[in-house]
Amino acid sequence: MPVSHVSRASVAGLLLVLSPVVSAHAQTPSPPVLKAETCSLDGLMDSIRRGLGSKSEAYRGYLRALLRETAVTLPEAQLRDAFARERDPAMVEHLAAALVARTDRGLESSALDAVRERALGDADPAVRAATVRAMRRSSAIERTGDMYERLMRDASPDVRREAATNLIEDNQFVYSGHHGPAADAAVAAAVGSTDASLTARILGTVSTEAISADSQARLQRMLRGGDSSVRAAAVTALGGVPASGMKSSRESLLAMYREEEDPEVRKAILQSIARLGFSGAVPDLQRLREVDPRLAPEVDAWTRVLGMGLQEWSLLLREKQRLSQAR
Amino acid sequence: MRNTTKMLAALTSLALLPTASSAYSVRSPFPGSVTATTYYSSGTFHGAVDIGASSCNYWGAETGVVATLSWDVSIRTTGVVCNGNGSGNQNEAKHAWSDGYTFRQWHWIKTSDSYDRTCDRCQVGNIGGTGNATGPHAHLQYDRYGTNVTSWYSVSKGQSVNRSTDVGSIR
Repeated sequence: MPVSHVSRASVAGLLLVLSPVVSAHAQTPSPPVLKAETCSLDGLMDSIRRGLGSKSEAYRGYLRALLRETAVTLPEAQLRDAFARERDPAMVEHLAAALVARTDRGLESSALDAVRERALGDADPAVRAATVRAMRRSSAIERTGDMYERLMRDASPDVRREAATNLIEDNQFVYSGHHGPAADAAVAAAVGSTDASLTARILGTVSTEAISADSQARLQRMLRGGDSSVRAAAVTALGGVPASGMKSSRESLLAMYREEEDPEVRKAILQSIARLGFSGAVPDLQRLREVDPRLAPEVDAWTRVLGMGLQEWSLLLREKQRLSQAR
Repeated sequence: MRNTTKMLAALTSLALLPTASSAYSVRSPFPGSVTATTYYSSGTFHGAVDIGASSCNYWGAETGVVATLSWDVSIRTTGVVCNGNGSGNQNEAKHAWSDGYTFRQWHWIKTSDSYDRTCDRCQVGNIGGTGNATGPHAHLQYDRYGTNVTSWYSVSKGQSVNRSTDVGSIR
């Protein structure tokens, strides 16, 4: 085979050319000493500790993913011990995320229990906040009982903020808005919170398409609250309730519109009425037009959009926003 | 110069726009090889990835998407079926995003792990051939409003895969 002959000749030639270099290299006085090491959690933690100082967000992300992916093969007891010993919030977050990953990957649920205990009970608010962050976009909301209700009443605003972000992101990214118990937990935590801005943030964002009748009743009670941002958020949440609760929501909102004085809350009511009824809401909106002349253009915009025959709420909302900007 | 500054400002604002969704890798539910992608060997449209294995009811079938997601598990066949028992009888694990896109895994055999669950690459059954199948395999499908997406996978027919192989990327 001519090709093989050529290949053999080339390799032989290359070796001849390289041989002086190889032998010269072998004669260097201090070759690097290679030491045998075993892969260990401590070694991994050292790498992560060093990597935290990196300016590269991509590298830090890689280290986070590395520990989470390795978590399933590390000994649980070793991981839990390291988590219990660690005091640096950044490292606590990594270790907690690894424990959460073990539970989410179908291993023991006790791993998540350890994280829950620390999120609720650690004396350092920075550690509590880091631990809560580690549970983001996980199944924690289903496995931790009333943890989020308690976290939303935490003394530290950072912990409350992280818990609110978890509730919002879990609802959006883990459950895609379809999971009733997760939405109920978010509503319960928001309603029980002492921080009005976070209550408004959760209720104004979380999908309520699968909430229970109890959660809907809680939202309806919030319509009489003192904080206008919370009232507006509760109104928005009531606009997205499941079909079984639409009639009751609509009646609550229609009754509220006449008594409400804040124009922003009234705008939210108009939007929720439109969402609950689509084109069927036009007669209700027309009746409300005379209640507050300042909002007549808003009512007209909704009437126009609902008459376009669009079949999805996202399209209606986008068209309404376009009309509002065009004016 | 002014136009360049304006353009740069516009590009900067675009770069800062928040993204509504995340990208997820999809990995193989078990070790095997790709037996079909967009078209079957016959030329018929398939629009999904099939991963076959030589043994039935042996490997656990994991959910393939690399993320913690809520999985809606539907059991239509309770017995051990390896070579098909009719269209529509396949066991299914699916996650539907709020914008209508849905990821589905079909054909696995029911086990004690087959229930609605929120998890990251967890077992929902064993490799099998429930539904419309001629042998044990996993059918991985990403669709919206009844139309299969065919751009998400990056594997090709005949390729060997294992649980750490990226089959594709969705969202």
